[in-house]
Amino acid sequence: MMASNFLGRFILYAFCLLAVIFLVLPLIVIIGVSLTATEYLAFPPKGLTLRWYMAFLQDRSYLSSIGLSALLAVGATASALVLGLPVALVLSRTRSRINSVIAGLFLSPLVLPTIVVGAALLQFAAQMGFARTWVALYVGHTILVIPYVVRTGLASLSGLQLVLEEAAQDLGATRIETFFLVTLPIIKPGVIAGALFGLIISWVNVELSIFNSTAALMPLPVKLFNYVQYSIDPMIAAVSASTIYVAVLIVFLIDRLVGIDRFNSG
Amino acid sequence: MYINQRAALILLAVPLLFLVAFFAVPFGVVLLDSFRNESGFSLDQYVKLVDGWFYAETLWFTFKISAWVTLVSFIIGYPLAYVMTRVIQRRWLRRLMYVIVITPLFTSNIVRSFGWMILLGRRGLINEGLLFVGVIDRPLMLLNNEFAIVVGMAYIMTPFMVLTIAAVLQNIDSSLEHAARDLGANPLTTFCKITFPLSLPGVVAGALIVFTLSVSAYVTPSILSGGKKTVMSMLIYQQYAALFDFHFGAALAVALLMTTLVLISFSMLLAPKHAHGTPSSRS
Repeated sequence: MMASNFLGRFILYAFCLLAVIFLVLPLIVIIGVSLTATEYLAFPPKGLTLRWYMAFLQDRSYLSSIGLSALLAVGATASALVLGLPVALVLSRTRSRINSVIAGLFLSPLVLPTIVVGAALLQFAAQMGFARTWVALYVGHTILVIPYVVRTGLASLSGLQLVLEEAAQDLGATRIETFFLVTLPIIKPGVIAGALFGLIISWVNVELSIFNSTAALMPLPVKLFNYVQYSIDPMIAAVSASTIYVAVLIVFLIDRLVGIDRFNSG
Repeated sequence: MYINQRAALILLAVPLLFLVAFFAVPFGVVLLDSFRNESGFSLDQYVKLVDGWFYAETLWFTFKISAWVTLVSFIIGYPLAYVMTRVIQRRWLRRLMYVIVITPLFTSNIVRSFGWMILLGRRGLINEGLLFVGVIDRPLMLLNNEFAIVVGMAYIMTPFMVLTIAAVLQNIDSSLEHAARDLGANPLTTFCKITFPLSLPGVVAGALIVFTLSVSAYVTPSILSGGKKTVMSMLIYQQYAALFDFHFGAALAVALLMTTLVLISFSMLLAPKHAHGTPSSRS
């Protein structure tokens, strides 16, 4: 009995270790390759150098792509917050029959094929005369981020103690004051975590951007995508590795804000 | 704070307008366009879609890949979710596990597929390792085929599977497991008779999310197929970007959208309240 318990545990842990290796290996390989001193991809890296990082930091086309991606992610997240939080507030504070329809509409970009959203936006923008402009990209990314804001907004608001709001109002605060002075500070960590999730979704997006990109207006993932299909070299690995560092940073930020393990229960 | 109807309308007006204008209307444009040809209304695009085996084969291939991806990510994801939520007691270790699961999720599909290109290449780590151990005597062709697509996509999807299953597993009352143990069940029996059945809603939700996302995946199949295999989303992109056939592209997009909507309806019917990523997950 004890022996079989032990064996079961052992198999479970061994399997999990393999799964963890499966999850981290591709990322480690990219980081490793980005440090190689060779002209070709070598893993484990042969010699250590930061020259591939220097190379891409001196490449203006990469810097402009990174700038565009960062701007898109921050801009889209900001507008998604402005558009999504009121929706979460209404959905959590009213009981209407159409609430589920509204929730479905605002959460649907999560599960509908992004490639179809991108194609639809291109087709629409072409008829409206703003195809392949930053407006099309910006609008598309905002739509992509909104569900993350609405979802975490709803989760944060539903856990809120309503008595706190009532107390504020009893003490003479208006509805708007109550929201900004009581509700918002309480739900802030959850909302920021949701916004960071949305931010990263925009930052890594290819499927939507690819339809509305031009050579001069190309977010980083689209640029990487075009490049990786034709040739791969250590510099591309350095660019890719840099995006991994961004991902790790955001994960740790979310962990500090809400605790990464609690983030999933929302 | 109760919100009355007037305030609700004011709060919802701008977001609704935005989403209708830039999300719902574009879908309408696609739908209308799919029922047209150069001269006007026609069913040409859909006739083209069902006529000839190529599109049916592509759809079948897309589904086959997605089914494999769902299976593989379940096999890898379930034990991980189980250990994260029911075995690990120390919070820092649990947090570390979540970091390991979520970091890939926050890295773009291109970068992750690129990682697999390096691993699966002719002189990649996998081939070198197998050669070194002596299992094979010449490098295997691991890239630019179905295997590469399934491995790469399973990698992309595993975090979704883990998070969805973990969300359900962590809410299972452990006194049920204790009771089974007290009554003499061994750990395996306890798992098979108590824990696993109770986690099934999470498994179903995870599988549906992964399958739905896989059916519409674009980046990973494009990179890891090396252009030798085609999935639905690649066809759609070709029509729009290379062939400039917006009408037929629209019909393909509608077909993919309908497929997804059917899958989502299933998940809305079957998914538990706490599962992630579906429109039904409100809380």
